[in-house]
Amino acid sequence: MSYGKKDEDADTGLVKIDRTQVFQEARLFNTSPIQPRRCRILLTKIALLLYTGEKFPTTEATTLFFGISKLFQNKDASLRQMVHLVIKELASSAEDIIMVTSTIMKDTGGSTDSIYRPNAIRALCRIIDATTVQSIERVMKTAIVDKNPSVSSSALVSSYHLLPIARDVVRRWQSETQEAAASTKSSGGFSLGFSSSSGNLPVNNSTMAQYHAIGLLYQMRMHDRMALVKMVQQFGVAGAMKNPAAIVMLVRLAAQLAEEDHQLRKPMMQLLDGWLRHKSEMVNFEAAKSICDMRDVSDAEVSQAVHVLQLFLSSPRAVTKFTALRILHNFASFKPHVVNVCNPDIELLISNSNRSIATFAITTLLKTGNEASVDRLMKQISGFMSEITDEFKITIVEAIRTLCLKFPSKQAGMLQFLSGILRDEGGYEFKRAVVESMFDLIKFVPDSKEEALAHLCEFIEDCEFTKLAVRILHLLGVEGPKTSQPTKYIRYIYNRVVLENAIVRAAAVTALAKFGVGQKDPEVKRSVDVLLTRCLDDVDDEVRDRAALNLRLMHEEDELATRFVKNDDMFALSAFEQQLVMYVTSDDRSAFDTAFDISKIPVVTREQADAEDRTKKLTASTPSLKPPKLGPSKAAPSAAEAAASASAAAQQYAQELMQIPEIKPFGHVLKSSPLVELTEAETEYVVAVVKHIFKEHIVLQYEVKNTLPATVLENVSVLATPSDDEELEDAFVIPAEKLGTDVPGKIYVAFRKVNGEGSLPVSTFSNILKFTSKEIDPTTNEPEDVGYDDEYEVSDFDLSGSDYVIPIFASNFAHVWEQVGAQGDEAEETLQLSGMKSIPEATEQLAKALSLQPLEGTDVPVNQTTHTLKLLGKTVSGGRVVANVRMAFSSKTGVTTKITVRSEEEGVAALVVGSVA
Amino acid sequence: MSPGMSLYSVNAILILSSEDGSRIFTKYYTPPHQAAGHPSGTAPGPSSQNPYPDKTSQTRFEKALLAKTAKQTGDILLFDSRIVLYKMESDVALYVVGSLDDNEILLYNVLLALRDSLHLLFKQSVDKRTIIENYDLVSLAIDEICDDGVVLETDPTIIVQRCSKAPSQDVSLGRIDPFSEQGVNNLAQLGKAKLTDWLRQGL
Repeated sequence: MSYGKKDEDADTGLVKIDRTQVFQEARLFNTSPIQPRRCRILLTKIALLLYTGEKFPTTEATTLFFGISKLFQNKDASLRQMVHLVIKELASSAEDIIMVTSTIMKDTGGSTDSIYRPNAIRALCRIIDATTVQSIERVMKTAIVDKNPSVSSSALVSSYHLLPIARDVVRRWQSETQEAAASTKSSGGFSLGFSSSSGNLPVNNSTMAQYHAIGLLYQMRMHDRMALVKMVQQFGVAGAMKNPAAIVMLVRLAAQLAEEDHQLRKPMMQLLDGWLRHKSEMVNFEAAKSICDMRDVSDAEVSQAVHVLQLFLSSPRAVTKFTALRILHNFASFKPHVVNVCNPDIELLISNSNRSIATFAITTLLKTGNEASVDRLMKQISGFMSEITDEFKITIVEAIRTLCLKFPSKQAGMLQFLSGILRDEGGYEFKRAVVESMFDLIKFVPDSKEEALAHLCEFIEDCEFTKLAVRILHLLGVEGPKTSQPTKYIRYIYNRVVLENAIVRAAAVTALAKFGVGQKDPEVKRSVDVLLTRCLDDVDDEVRDRAALNLRLMHEEDELATRFVKNDDMFALSAFEQQLVMYVTSDDRSAFDTAFDISKIPVVTREQADAEDRTKKLTASTPSLKPPKLGPSKAAPSAAEAAASASAAAQQYAQELMQIPEIKPFGHVLKSSPLVELTEAETEYVVAVVKHIFKEHIVLQYEVKNTLPATVLENVSVLATPSDDEELEDAFVIPAEKLGTDVPGKIYVAFRKVNGEGSLPVSTFSNILKFTSKEIDPTTNEPEDVGYDDEYEVSDFDLSGSDYVIPIFASNFAHVWEQVGAQGDEAEETLQLSGMKSIPEATEQLAKALSLQPLEGTDVPVNQTTHTLKLLGKTVSGGRVVANVRMAFSSKTGVTTKITVRSEEEGVAALVVGSVA
Repeated sequence: MSPGMSLYSVNAILILSSEDGSRIFTKYYTPPHQAAGHPSGTAPGPSSQNPYPDKTSQTRFEKALLAKTAKQTGDILLFDSRIVLYKMESDVALYVVGSLDDNEILLYNVLLALRDSLHLLFKQSVDKRTIIENYDLVSLAIDEICDDGVVLETDPTIIVQRCSKAPSQDVSLGRIDPFSEQGVNNLAQLGKAKLTDWLRQGL
């Protein structure tokens, strides 16, 4: 082959061809007579350029395009096929392509029986535009029902491509498409090998046309539910569809119908169940996936699907294992107990050579695992830990961290595992992940503190990463003094001062100082003093400065020094960041006249920050994988996102409120409740409310949306009446001036607490929306001058005890429980929650309703029949609130709970209990 | 519209050199008439959007992908929020990229169709050089497998049947003067070319 020969000298033939040269050579197309072989080689070169990312400028593309169109004079079939291919590829960049329509049309006709007929049909739909689609209607109709599947497929796919520009025309081809879908043609045997020499259309018995026909039929009928149902029933019969891909489409359609219409759910589920036993894997998977994605699927309905997937887990093909595991993984988030049965099979996959499979296996096991299986899992993981890459190790470490937080009682084994791998070889990222996991253990699992600190101390003895050493030293400084034997850590820290570089030395000095400042034991204090004094001779400025500062602080009054060195409060970092960015990017020059005011940043205590942190970490169970996308119907955001968005929303509210001059004097928002919907989403006016608690005020923020088309609401206000107006006094209402269609607006209603700062008024509000409604004149698009006043009543809502409570974290529940019990009051309530279907559901709902933080891993119920939930929070004024909720589940009565709440402030306990009663 | 009901399921088909990551064949699919059609077009689902519109983002994606799959035999991975199926064939890497919601087995069939058609076309030797030497066949075959994101055919024998071989040498016999030296040379050349063709076809 001459083309081949040319490349023989240089193996990297790719770089040899360049665009300008090919463009020059294109004169060949104009020579006469046409030399099909040389032209085809040149066309191949153009294709190669296009397929390696080269783009012809419009003029060049157009010239080439019309050059190529001259080749239609030649009859050679193999040249013609290539011509159609290149025309198809060039169509997007060339101009005036519509000119060649009639030439190409000739090749699409039924009379020609050449190999290039399907190619011509596909090229045709690229050059056509919306106005000329009608002219090819006859050609397409005949092609769709052609007895040759290649022609029929090409015509169907081309019609599909034309949908966006000519929907109405394409819809007229419905009966032909229906025929193509229904025909189970088998046109003779097929010839093997190349048929190019004859240039005739090879016959085959492909069934792909069915797939394309179903796809197209769906598009034609998508707004006609009845037609779609009929389609599923007609083609869903066993044997009606030969092509597995076509059945996949039917599976999806059936699932969609079941989701949209409850009536159809039962028959569609039956169909799906049948497809689980289809002979093609493709169909089995699609059916299993659809069943698992179904809303409110019952355990019985899904068990067959899970069983089928379980069988696939032991398939030799990686793709099959991957697919099965991915479906199970997604499903495990909703119903871990159903996936449980597959655990033995999944465990075999965690050392799979395909990293995606292994990662899915581990994360699935994490979701489905129970306390008993953790040890076995850990053993298995440590078996192959040395054979895998750092990146994958990190995934595992993060997964184990989640496990630790979930099952605190298993910390000993996990800590051992972590310290083991900490000694292994590994890069910075990996070590960081391990160290951070240990930090979390120390923070949230108090039993592990001493041992974890000991492991970290050992680690810094021989740590090559400065950054990690600094962080560990800081942690030692914070946690060390609280332990029973602080002197042990002082030795490790001082070793760093002697042996390390300046950065680590400086960190070590600060950590040392924390042992000295506020130290009650004079002996320890003296030793720290001696050590710090030695640091005064350090060669590095920073180390000397820190030593001097801390020495001075040690001799100061304890109170002052403690506040300085051991301050546990910190700024709400995300708010801080946002404010700083706002300040720095401000367009207004005058913004820089005043310095950035740090006192405006809300301060949170460490406990609050910890609580938030923990929720985030617990829910992020698939760290290195993107969170699995749920079906569109199940768009409920995952808990991690919810936690993140809740804190972001609270800050957003706080900022908006600060912009309002009337509200500014109230001070900081102490707590903002989540959004409570007061109407259904489909009503004329959609209203939701957020309750903001201030020191002496309560502000209700109503978010109103007008969904009526062509109306404007003006002067919208809310008449909110508390059921008990002795404790609350109207302050003011800030109405929304104007609400167009679908434009959300905000209305603020403020109340003053009559009994002052400390009181926590509880009340039920009835709300009436008042507004002037005006219609929009369709000719001018302006609202008419006169409107009419109207009222609209929305549901009541409660301002309850939980609105005054913020979740906080503490590591030892029993301790807090006793502490609070000793000084505060207690309230008790027994409730019958018949609406709850399971313990996990009740746990989640109660923690949310009470607005308290679950402690000691009690947010993950181990037992399905009884569970004790331990909760902690604090009121906006700072008093702690602890709750102990005992639950028992029986299928007859639902969940029975006994809630005991203790609070430091009087009366709060009863209020909080009242918020769920 | 449910994204699952779209026929546009393949995002890209790539053939890269596994040695240096250079492009041999890359096709990122966008449904035709998309830009020209109504912006509120009905056919495209989220999976039909081409995620790598320009060459820079494409090559970045290819480089990262190759680094991730080098010397791996896993066949499948999740990468950059898409499903990627891959096969290594001597010095080339074959990829089929699809969206997360799609049926993995369908995409796998596309990949197998690609690999097996190349095997059928070239007998044993599926390597970079053979692919480039027979680029016309390769591009025709891929055009038969996938049409702008819609899977067209996954049976390799059918696909191979649909690819026409290059026409024979462009020398019209009438113009060859058998008595001149030039003519003899031409004849010899023609014969040689025919012979190689036959040999290549294995006929």
